[in-house]
Amino acid sequence: MGRIVLTLALAILGGGIGFLAQRSRMCFVAGFRDYFIVRDRELLFGIFSFIVTIWLLTSVLYPMNIIRSGIPQYGDAVIRRSVEHVRVSTSYIPSIRDFIIGGLGEGTNLSSHFLNKFIYITFAGGLMIGLVSTLAGGCVLRQHVLFAQGNMNALYYIAGFYTSVVVYYVFLFRYAVLLY
Amino acid sequence: MVVSFEALFNFYPPSAYSFCLTCHTRDLVNQTVNLIFRTNFQTAPISHRAVEATSFFVILGAFIAARRYREYRLQKSNRPLLFFAAGFVVMILGILIFGCPTRIAVRVGYGDLYGIIAFVGMVFGVWIGTILLRRVSRKLT
Repeated sequence: MGRIVLTLALAILGGGIGFLAQRSRMCFVAGFRDYFIVRDRELLFGIFSFIVTIWLLTSVLYPMNIIRSGIPQYGDAVIRRSVEHVRVSTSYIPSIRDFIIGGLGEGTNLSSHFLNKFIYITFAGGLMIGLVSTLAGGCVLRQHVLFAQGNMNALYYIAGFYTSVVVYYVFLFRYAVLLY
Repeated sequence: MVVSFEALFNFYPPSAYSFCLTCHTRDLVNQTVNLIFRTNFQTAPISHRAVEATSFFVILGAFIAARRYREYRLQKSNRPLLFFAAGFVVMILGILIFGCPTRIAVRVGYGDLYGIIAFVGMVFGVWIGTILLRRVSRKLT
């Protein structure tokens, strides 16, 4: 029962975001790309309003105890293991909100971030995502929307998207364990 | 919208997970593969409580919008292999760093340090990409 309700709610959320993204040409890569090439600020404002809205909402809802899930902490070993089933041994690492609100916790210092391997992987992965998405002409959300508009390039994009999951877990996942 | 969804339906663990195209696609495909071949590929804990077909519904919503405002038109593919490779690479990287560009932005809003670093990296990558694009266009002209 809860499963069906959650799935339907997710469908409504996805459909709503798809509808709005089609209307607003929203894209998280094209905003920066347009700004760097032709100094067009329209989509950039979209990205920052997206982030600021989420920031304000979380800031309001955390103290009201409505969101109970907490900040995503992939530096935290327990959470990363729960997603990944990969054994890692890193100490607890606070997120930026802890820095602002409570300062650094006990037993951590700033240098522990830079000893963590995952931080470099995150940066390099983000860089490669930005690079490849720019060359492909849009982020993942935009490619889905383009496919819905009838662009057949995006069909191949999504095909590669789906096949790579299987390929990754069959062939590459055993090496990815080394990275975490 | 994303945050209120998570608040309404207790959509966690992992947190900030209510809208992500790579992660949800990953969960969907791995669930299907696990069901058929009885393998044990990774899925997020939330996928035991919901079927995450977000990708399809985004396409559906955008399709409805495109049809309603008459923006739907077929364009033939000119470089299929390039786009296939791009989708391939983006998916693998998205699995590695837990998020498509959308979810990276969501994580920045949540105040995740790793999300912010990924976002900075993404902006940097876009900058390099624009330099490459400029060079290519100069060669063509």
